[in-house]
Amino acid sequence: MLVACDRTSGGGLPASVRYPAHVAAGGSQPPAGEIKNPLASDSTTVADGSKIFTTMNCDGCHGGGATGWVGPSLVDGRWRYGGTDGALFQSIYYGRPKGMPAYGGILSAGAIWKMVSYIRAQPVPVTVPTESWQ
Amino acid sequence: MEAPGADKYHYGMRRAPFLLFLLPVLQGTPAGDDGQWTMPGRNYAATRFSGLTQITPANVSKLRAVWSFSTGVLGGHEGQPLVVGNTMYVVTPFPNVLYAFDLTREGYPLKWKYRPDVNPTSVGIACCDAINRGAVYADGKIVYNLLDGHTVAVDAQTGREVWKTQIADMGQGETTPMAPFIVRDRVFVGPSGGEFGIYGWLKALDLATGKVVWTAHNMGPDSLMLVRPGTLSSANLGVSTWSGDSWRRGGAPVWGWISYDPQLDLIYFGTGNPGPYNTEQRPGENKWTNSVLARRPGDGSLVWAYQFTPHDSWDFDSNAEMILADLVVGGQLRTVLVHFDKNGFAYTLDRATGDVLVAEPFAHVTWAKSINRATGLPVVDTSKTTGVSRGNVQGICPSLEGGKSPASPSAYSPRTGLFYTATNNLCMSFEAAPVTRIPGTPYIGATTPYTAGPGGHMGAFIAWDAARGRKVWEIKEKFPVWSGSVVTAGDVVFYGTLDGWFKAANARTGRELWKAKVASGVVGAPISFRGADGKQYIAVYAGIGGDWFLLSGDVRSDDPADVRPPADFAPDLARHTSQGGIVWIFGL
Repeated sequence: MLVACDRTSGGGLPASVRYPAHVAAGGSQPPAGEIKNPLASDSTTVADGSKIFTTMNCDGCHGGGATGWVGPSLVDGRWRYGGTDGALFQSIYYGRPKGMPAYGGILSAGAIWKMVSYIRAQPVPVTVPTESWQ
Repeated sequence: MEAPGADKYHYGMRRAPFLLFLLPVLQGTPAGDDGQWTMPGRNYAATRFSGLTQITPANVSKLRAVWSFSTGVLGGHEGQPLVVGNTMYVVTPFPNVLYAFDLTREGYPLKWKYRPDVNPTSVGIACCDAINRGAVYADGKIVYNLLDGHTVAVDAQTGREVWKTQIADMGQGETTPMAPFIVRDRVFVGPSGGEFGIYGWLKALDLATGKVVWTAHNMGPDSLMLVRPGTLSSANLGVSTWSGDSWRRGGAPVWGWISYDPQLDLIYFGTGNPGPYNTEQRPGENKWTNSVLARRPGDGSLVWAYQFTPHDSWDFDSNAEMILADLVVGGQLRTVLVHFDKNGFAYTLDRATGDVLVAEPFAHVTWAKSINRATGLPVVDTSKTTGVSRGNVQGICPSLEGGKSPASPSAYSPRTGLFYTATNNLCMSFEAAPVTRIPGTPYIGATTPYTAGPGGHMGAFIAWDAARGRKVWEIKEKFPVWSGSVVTAGDVVFYGTLDGWFKAANARTGRELWKAKVASGVVGAPISFRGADGKQYIAVYAGIGGDWFLLSGDVRSDDPADVRPPADFAPDLARHTSQGGIVWIFGL
């Protein structure tokens, strides 16, 4: 099973991957594996991932630098479907509702992991939830 | 004279023998106004002119909200309601709810509500927010498009689904927010997807059954374009003006408006940009992208076409409305088509032939010096031509939001002889990049940041004399103006602003007469109708969206995982508005 089930609701996870976990019925978590990126997050992998991100037209929806367009930002530390290695892999491989295409049919697992490395390597800004015009 | 930019059909042309007599039929006269609004542009000529006269410059200051209704939907509320008899019909953006309001009862309660099953994948395949541009009524049916590539017909009395037809393929990047158009027993529909490398088309469906009667592509071989032999100056222009098979993924979406001349028996519609934005992947004029096409409604055959922006370098779609009017141009009464193009020029064409009669800039334009009326071709400033080898090209005006957005339909008053339109005052830089087409993913290839144009105001609402090609008056606005407009026989014109004002102006002088804050930015098109009580009303959607979901900053607040930074050229727009659809009705 590819799903990485975050078992915490923020605590213990860095801001870059935090997202609200599901509530476990009865307080008992289902058994699930955690998938880790097998690639080292070195500069070559990240650079390759950046190229694949552009070549696969990801920037057409998520914007240049993945800062968001019709699709959400991937570099703001906020996630609909999770920012862990496994959650990102699943999002890219199988797609997501609201238009995220499934790339698993045209990309190798290695290429997807490179993109995961690229996304995970982006700096996450300090969250300032208030926008003020005063 | 046959011009390189305009191909015409010279034989078998039917001209109106009693043109002056027929003018009121085409344009809608005050005396004959039935108070309804049954098609997107009010009438076949798409004038958005209401013949109702109760609201005037003298009393419009007393206009007040008499009713409002939250649609329960975010997303860009483009388009307009319909009023058929004493029922008002409202289509929302995705998930494309259809509401039927009973205008005879206090509070206008619902008669029924139709909830189609729409594939949510469409939200992300749509280039620029989930929007819908409205429905059309004919033969007891409300017909409209779902975002996921389906057209539905719903019984106007009962809300029962009559038919549902798949018309588009999301796997190819096609979505369908445009408002269908109906002539006799044909329903005309087209796709969005100019940013996805689609192979653009217009389809005609049978009104009774929903079956596809014909499909006409906007480029490619004559057989697929439904070009009969001898119609155009050369065979297969839809192939020869492209390199290789680039026409197969060349875009030319049909996401705007359609109009119809019953005397000539021609429908008119605009096509969108060629794909990708990187010009160097598609050498040639790229016909018939960024064009107006005139087709026979019966069999779809092409009669003439004119390309506004050959080999588009700037994403200048031509999907804006083609308003049909009869104007004295150069001392002669001409049957014309008036079109405000994204490229910043307003065109007055002979609608029987496509000849360019007038073409003058209505917005600040730097990409071309003028339009050569003899050839129909723009005199391009080649320093503004874009492409990968050109690097980052600066100072292009208008921006790709257009001198006017095609999403903001104009109005024409036969009383004043003037056209009324929202405009944008934005410029851009344009840096192209190579791009590969992967079906179902974006096919763009450019970065295009905006700046405000000369004067610093980012928009204006203007009145335009299309016979002479000149601006008559202008109301400057801080932000781009993205709403449609309606003009009435009371000589009042209405429009809305992105920061959430709905305004009335004197149609003759441009003096602002009234305004109301309507809860969200206006990207919809107002209408005027006669209520069950015999009074004149104005209805409009509030609900910012479309490109302004992408450009306004954090205006959509339903997802804690998606918080948007402000656009650098409009940093405080989100101070004045958030998304949220509301239908407003105003009356005296």
